[in-house]
Parts: sequence; structure tokens; C-alpha cells
Amino acid sequence: MSFLIPCPNCGKRSAYEFRFGGEVKTRPEAGSSNEAWLGYSYAAANRDHSQKEWWFHTYGCRQWLFAVRDTVTNEVTETSLPEEAP
Amino acid sequence: MSDQMDSRFHGNDGSSPSSIPANGQVPATFYFNGRPIEALPQDTVASALYRSGRRIFSRSFKYHRPRGLLCVSGRCPNCLMNVDGTPNVRACMQPVRDGMRVTHQNASPSLENDFMAIAEKFSWAMPVGFYYKTFTHPWMWRLAEPFIRRAAGLGKIDNDPNAVTDHPYEHVFLHTNTTVIGGGPHGIQAALEAAVAGEEVVLIDDQPELGGHLRYASSTDDTPETTSSTESPFRGKPHVGLADLLKSVHETPNITVLSNATCFGLYEGKLVAAMHRSAESPAAQRLTQLRTENIVIATGAHEIPLLFENNDLPGVMLSSGALRLIGLHGVKPGERAVVVGTTQAADSVCGALEATGIEIVATVSLEQVVKAVGKKHVSALQTNEQRFACDLIVMCGDWMPDAGLVGQAGGTVAWDEERAVFVASDLPEGVSAVGAVTGEDLPPAIGISQSASANPKKVFVCPCEDVSLHDLKTAIDEGFDHIETLKRYTTTTMGPCQGKMCQQAAIGICADQTGQTIQETGRTTSRPPTSPVPLGVLAGPHLHPVKRTPMHAKHDEIGCVWMDMGEWKRPLYYGTPDSKRESVEQEYWAVRQRVGLIDLSTLGKLDVVGKDAGKLLDKVYTNRFSDLRVGRARYGVICDEAGIILDDGTVSRVAEDRYFITTTTGNIEFVQEWLEWWLAGTGMCVHITNVTGGMAAVNVAGPKARDTLAKLTERDLGNKRFGYMRCRQAEVAGVPSLMLRIGFVGETGWEIHFPAEYGEHVWGAIMEAGEEFDIRPFGVETQRVLRLEKKHVIVSVDTDATSNPIESDLAWVAKLDKDDFIGKAAISRAKDRAPREKLVGFIMDENVLPPDGCVIIADGQPAGRITSVRYSPVNERIIGLAWVSAGLAVAGQSITMRVDGRPVTAQIVDEPFYDPAQARLRQ
Ligand code: FES
Ligand SMILES: [Zn+2]
Repeated sequence: MSFLIPCPNCGKRSAYEFRFGGEVKTRPEAGSSNEAWLGYSYAAANRDHSQKEWWFHTYGCRQWLFAVRDTVTNEVTETSLPEEAP
Repeated sequence: MSDQMDSRFHGNDGSSPSSIPANGQVPATFYFNGRPIEALPQDTVASALYRSGRRIFSRSFKYHRPRGLLCVSGRCPNCLMNVDGTPNVRACMQPVRDGMRVTHQNASPSLENDFMAIAEKFSWAMPVGFYYKTFTHPWMWRLAEPFIRRAAGLGKIDNDPNAVTDHPYEHVFLHTNTTVIGGGPHGIQAALEAAVAGEEVVLIDDQPELGGHLRYASSTDDTPETTSSTESPFRGKPHVGLADLLKSVHETPNITVLSNATCFGLYEGKLVAAMHRSAESPAAQRLTQLRTENIVIATGAHEIPLLFENNDLPGVMLSSGALRLIGLHGVKPGERAVVVGTTQAADSVCGALEATGIEIVATVSLEQVVKAVGKKHVSALQTNEQRFACDLIVMCGDWMPDAGLVGQAGGTVAWDEERAVFVASDLPEGVSAVGAVTGEDLPPAIGISQSASANPKKVFVCPCEDVSLHDLKTAIDEGFDHIETLKRYTTTTMGPCQGKMCQQAAIGICADQTGQTIQETGRTTSRPPTSPVPLGVLAGPHLHPVKRTPMHAKHDEIGCVWMDMGEWKRPLYYGTPDSKRESVEQEYWAVRQRVGLIDLSTLGKLDVVGKDAGKLLDKVYTNRFSDLRVGRARYGVICDEAGIILDDGTVSRVAEDRYFITTTTGNIEFVQEWLEWWLAGTGMCVHITNVTGGMAAVNVAGPKARDTLAKLTERDLGNKRFGYMRCRQAEVAGVPSLMLRIGFVGETGWEIHFPAEYGEHVWGAIMEAGEEFDIRPFGVETQRVLRLEKKHVIVSVDTDATSNPIESDLAWVAKLDKDDFIGKAAISRAKDRAPREKLVGFIMDENVLPPDGCVIIADGQPAGRITSVRYSPVNERIIGLAWVSAGLAVAGQSITMRVDGRPVTAQIVDEPFYDPAQARLRQ
């Protein structure tokens, strides 16, 4: 694993500067069913190719960001800050 | 760039002309097995040994056959030695340093007389696939393992931990436009072209000097621009003069040359990994990680051995090896040579050999060769017609492109029918290949042509793993006829040379035996590392950041035993290593009866500000903080969505829109990330600042804590104005502080947070104020005893990655009536179902101390484990916390554990072991 992540704040940096936060999922509403919670906690879509993920720039700006990564080639095609994300 | 590199790594980096000797040193003396050996400036360890008359350089892996110099270019396994304690150093690549200590490997007592050579007599007992055929039952392996371990393997690691930390490994990170791998004429040319186009270029070369084969091919003839076809292994086009090329490189400022550096892998994101050898010491090695936009693979080609009986005998050398000895080191490889190869190939080396005064006894083709004759060194070559007495057999082998990096770069290694070699092709964007790696200039290969040898058991294909032609044929007959299974079964290509000597031959033999074409047979996948890399190089320097609290010097002054807590140094107790018992007890009684002082600066501290701060904390903590009144503190727990406890600490509301949070030591980064995560994109107005390093903290605890602090602050510390679980801003010893009335250790006490720069001052002031009460500083060990008596849980000591608050005796902290919080659903589920196990307190029936982690047994079955256990001075009993299965978690229940081989019992206790009514805490 040696790919680069273009941080919106810091520019292209080695993936080792970041902490992986998993794929972006929608948290169930309070009071949702057990199934919904279990799915949210334990099931991952684990898509091939384009996947939207959370990354935290630990050794940089210390901000959480979204990155769209190709899970086959590890190429990060797009990043954004959560506040600015569409 | 060169000023960030220390001198250990300076090869000839192109900034000095090529006339400087390879290692830039003067004549030196080193020691081989204790005997002094003289070395000339141009020598490597191997060339100096060869000049001194040494011919056996190693013993083979399996049969302990004598082996001598073969490639003289760091590509084969034959010259592995121990240099200054570092095993498996290639002697032919290791520059000499005065006083260096070199020893042989894998032979006992000496290379000349190796007892293990007896192994060859038993070669019938070690057929190919020996392990799989012999060890068909686990007991067999257990029996044989110690013997095999002693006999097999290469080199010995220095087990002395100090020696390991002494290794000056380094990591360097570089960025460039274009990286050229390989410093031969084509690589140099490519680097110059890219540099002229304005790019920053890094040129990586694994030799001490640039020039590739021109270095040794031209050195017998001082007119390099006419490098004649008779001396170049690449016949054909004459090359531009090496001196001119080097001059151009030297004059081009945007080319950085990394000499003595082996590129062993290409990784995603165009990351190039290279390992530098140091001229100073074999242990000093540097890993360079180079980010680049373009990669030019100019790794060239290397010569591979011919297959005939005893082709591994010392004195049988590759033609390029012989030429390197002559051209680079001025060493005469022999007196009387027989050259084996096609007339054309043989012609090209004979001139250079004769020019050094070597007599060419004969030139023969491979088909004529029966075997090399000799016991420990070549004495003759036997052909089907006659026997030629000689002391050197020069093999003109095929040239195999060094295409190992091509696949790693995303290209393919394709079979070139015309030249009969595998070459680089189909390279992705940004990657190109030039020179011999593409097949350019290579003479057509002969491939697997048969010698006249009658004994395939002594025809060695893989010198690293001692795999013979016979072994490969047998394996194929046994059904391992796919190149990938053949590799794994016979271990061909899996030794130190990583297939450089044997891959081509193995493919040829496989194709031959199965009747397939080479193309159909294919090639095994080449993965990083393409050449061996010591693990220490990857691990890098032993740098452990150390964090010291602002009061560190004070603890040192008093004298304490230190412990590591994450990166922090903390006093375990005050005293000496052999005073643990008395020290801890004295500290303990000071807190329980008088007053104690502990440095808590390592606690994680967060300043959380903003109008939505309470809302964020309500979401992340299991309990509520939006309703916490200003001036109050509350214990809080953070769980993940699965209800697992992640951290705990106190949250104090210091102003309407401001909270002060403490976290477990070492967990601060995580907690901050966690809070930021749940804040990200919500639009809530909160700002989180990590103030851990900026704040010092102490806890003053004990019946006299109030009297002590009253001398240092104006604040009314009385119960009415400053009750339990309150927080107040105050000046303490003149320093603006935040005081929290909390009681982890179970006595009246204050946790005081203040600016770190006043650490020593405040510590000193408290010690002075407490003097009349006989105050004592106490350490982590004492604190652990004190808190255990109160049954206070330490997250990640008493809990683990499966513990939720319900089962951890912290159910009260999960406010399930809250609308929502992280982990609510999972904790609700845990509450509804019957618990599997519970964290409980226990008291031992007799005073034996079980170890932490000790297993609890019920009905002969494991039924839990101890997480913390200590001697409780106030109870004069051993107490602890343990996870037990839910059925056992009842007060009064007897549990059993095994200590020192005998069963001992304990009773489960519901209440804290000390002051269950909290009377002392609230005093
Ligand atoms: S002789 Fe040193 S590696 Fe081949
Ligand atoms: Zn950043």
C-alpha cells in the first residue's frame, strides 16, 4: 500500500499519513430496527472500484475528509471536506 | 540533497570523476577468520580474498559443496559472508574498510574442511521434495527439526539486542520527475535526455560507479570510445565513451546519482524503493522511498551459468565475472583457462583474458563438455574427446534481461522469440524501458542446450538451493510440471539470488520436459523484493519518541523507578528497584492516612468550546453532559457503535459553552479523532483543541489534602463551597488552575490542571505546603492499588475489545433514556439479553498473589480471567478484578484458580474493598 491521497488542505500525501475511517455509510435514525443497526455496524458494501471513504489526515491538517478511491487500483480520484461535500 | 546524506553512503555519486577508486579509500587490512588480508583501494572483500589465494568462498545450502566466485556482481549466492557481525553480505560487493572482520558462513570448522559436506554422501536420502516425502507425521518433524535447523539455513543473526540497536539504519524520502533505474550506458543516456528536457532526475545504480558493463569491458583498453566488440559482452554498436558520459552526468545539475543503491521494488503511486549499502559498514543501510512521475527501467541484463556436471566447482566462473575481476579489481582469475561457449562468445572474452597473461588452453562448445574435474577446485575440464588441465573454466552463458521490476511497474515480461529471452513490453504510461532489458543489443540466447554430462545429479541449476537438473526432471515426472508448482516444490528461484541464476534454465527445462514452448511454460511472477533486503532496513532507525512530564526532573531528584506508558515516562514508585514493596506501602499509607501527590500530566486533555459542545458530547458519551451545570464534573464513558468501551474520563463544564475533558493516557489522539469524526459535516458549532502538552496536572489526595492546598489557594475548599464532583477555577501557588474535586484513589482530593511551564513550581509548592503533614509523592503502582480497593475500572486494563458497560459493572453510566448516542442500540441489546460474563471484584481466601491474566476455573473448565490483582494493605488481603461467566458473578460465590501449580480459592465481592459508603471521598 503506497498510494497517494490528495488532501484538500495539504495536497498529495502518502496514504501512511492518514487513518482509514471505512466506507461512508448512513447512520440509522435513532430507534431504528436491530437489523438496521447491525447492518450499519458490521456489514460493509466492500465495492470494487469506486468507493467513498472516510480518511483522517493524522500527520497533516488533522481533518476528516471524504476520498473516492478505486478499491482495485488504489487510485484516489476525488477528495472533499465534509462541510463542503455536496 | 547530498548534504542530508551522511558520508557513510557516499559512493561515487557522479560528482567526482571515475578515476576515483570505487570505495574512495586507501589500501587497507581486514581480517578473514582472524587472519589479516591486505586490500588495494579498488578491492572488495571478495577480490582481496581472491588475490590472497582464496578460492572457496562458501559452502552450499544443502550438500555443503564448496563454492567459489561465480558472477562477481552481487547476483549469485556464492560469496555470502559475515561482515562485522552482519550475516549474508555479498563479499564481491562489499568495499573494504580497515580493520573489518569477515568470517565464513555455513561451514564448520572451515570452508576447506566442512564436516557437513558429508551431507552430499546422503543426497539419496534428500530427494527433491524431501520435506513433503519424509515428514508425513508431525512427530517426525519434531524429531528431525533441531538437526535440520542446525544443518540448513544461511548465516547466523547476531542475537545481542544491543548489537541490533547499533545498526544505523536510515529512511530517506525523495521526490522527483524521472527516476532511471540502472546506471549503464542506456540508463545514463536516458537520464541525460530527461535532464536536458528540464526534468529533475534521480539515477539509481547498484554499483559503486556508473557505467554498467563499460566499466570493466573498457578498462583493459584505455580507449573507451572504441570499446571494441571483442571486449563488450554486447556485441554490435560501439558505445560512446564512458568518460564522456560520466562527465556529462557530472555537469548536469538536475541529475542526482544514487550509487551502491539497489532498487528492489516498485509500488503503487510510482513509489520506488531502493536500498543503499554503505562503504563504511555492511550494517549501515538506508532505505530510500522515492516518489516519481516517470520511471525508466534500464536494469540491463546479466549472464547466467551453463549446465554441465560440476558446473558449481570453484574455478568455474561466468565470463562477466572473470572480466570484472580483471577490469574492476586488477585480479587475475587464473593461469590456465578453458573457455566454454559459442565461438563468437568465446572470442569476445579470450582477448581480455590473454591480455592479462592468462593462457587459453582451449575453447570448447557446451555440447562437448562432460564435466569439470576437481575436488575442491577445478583441475581440468573433461570433454567427450579429451581432458584439458586448467585452473579456470570460463562460462560464456546466455544474457538474461533483468526484467524483475517490469511486472511490478505494471508491464509484462514477454517472450522474444527471435532473441530467445524474456523482455520488457507493454509498459503502462509513465514507465519505459531502455537497453538490454528490452532485448536490445543482446546476442541471441542458446537456451537449454545439453552438455555431454552423464550425471544430471551434479548439474546444478539453482546454486542457492542446491537444485540439480535431476531434481527438476524428477519433480516434473512427479507431476509438478507447471512452472509455479515446480518452483514451490523444488524451491528453485526461491533462494538469495531470487532466480537471477536459475529462473531462465528452470523454465527451459520445464518446457523441454513437458514438450511445451517457453511461451506456454511462462514465467513465475516477480514480486518485491527483487533482491534480499534486511528486515532492519525496512524497519528503519530505532527512534522512540519519549514524552516527559513538566515535573520529570523533580521525580528524578527524589529518585524513582520509571515505567513507560505509551510514549510517556511515569514514576512507577519512588525508591529503588529493590524497594518496591516498602516504597509502595509507604506511599499507600501516606494517601490513606495523611496526604499524597501524584503527577497526572500524562492524562489526555481536551478543551471543547462552542455553543453545540454539549450536544456533541451527548452524542459521543453514553451519559448526558448538556445538562451538566457550570462548575460541575462528571465521569463519562465513550463507546463505539457496537457498545464496546473505547475510553473514559471526566468531563467538567467550566463555562456555559466550554467543557474540559480528560482521557486515558495515550488515548488522546484517538479520542480527539473520534470527537472530530462525529462533528465532521454536521454543521455543529464546536471547536476541539488538544491541550495535553500545554497543561500539567497533579492529584493531591488524602485526609490532609484540604489542609495542604488551603495554604496555597484563596479558594474555599470546604465541602459547602467545593463539594465532591465540583470544578472551580482558582489560583494555586499563584498559578491560574482548574481544580476538580474527584477521587480516583478514594480519598478527599483535588485534581489540579495548570499551565505546563509551572509544573515544577506547583509541584514544589505542594510538597512544601504538605511537609508538616508528612506528604509523599506516589507513583502509578500505588495509584493502582488505591483505585483497585475502590473497584475503579481502568479501560483497556480491566476491559478489552469485547467489553460493554453493562458487563463491565458500569451500567449506570449508559443513559438509555437519552434519544440517541453512539452505541445506544448495541448497549440496549446487551442490557436485554442475559450477560455472558461480568467484571467482578474478588478477595483471595489465602494470601497468594495470582499473576495478572490468571485463568479462573469452574468445574474443571476455564470460566474467566483476572485483569488486576494486588495486595490491599488496608484489608491485609489480596484483592482483584476478574471477568467471570455470568453464573459465577454473585457475591459470596467461590472461584478457583491455579497458582504455582495448586488450586487456590477466592470469594466474589460486590462492594468496593474500601470505603463502600464513599464517606471518606466526600469528607
Ligand atoms: S560472486 Fe558475489 S554474488 Fe556472485
Ligand atoms: Zn491534510
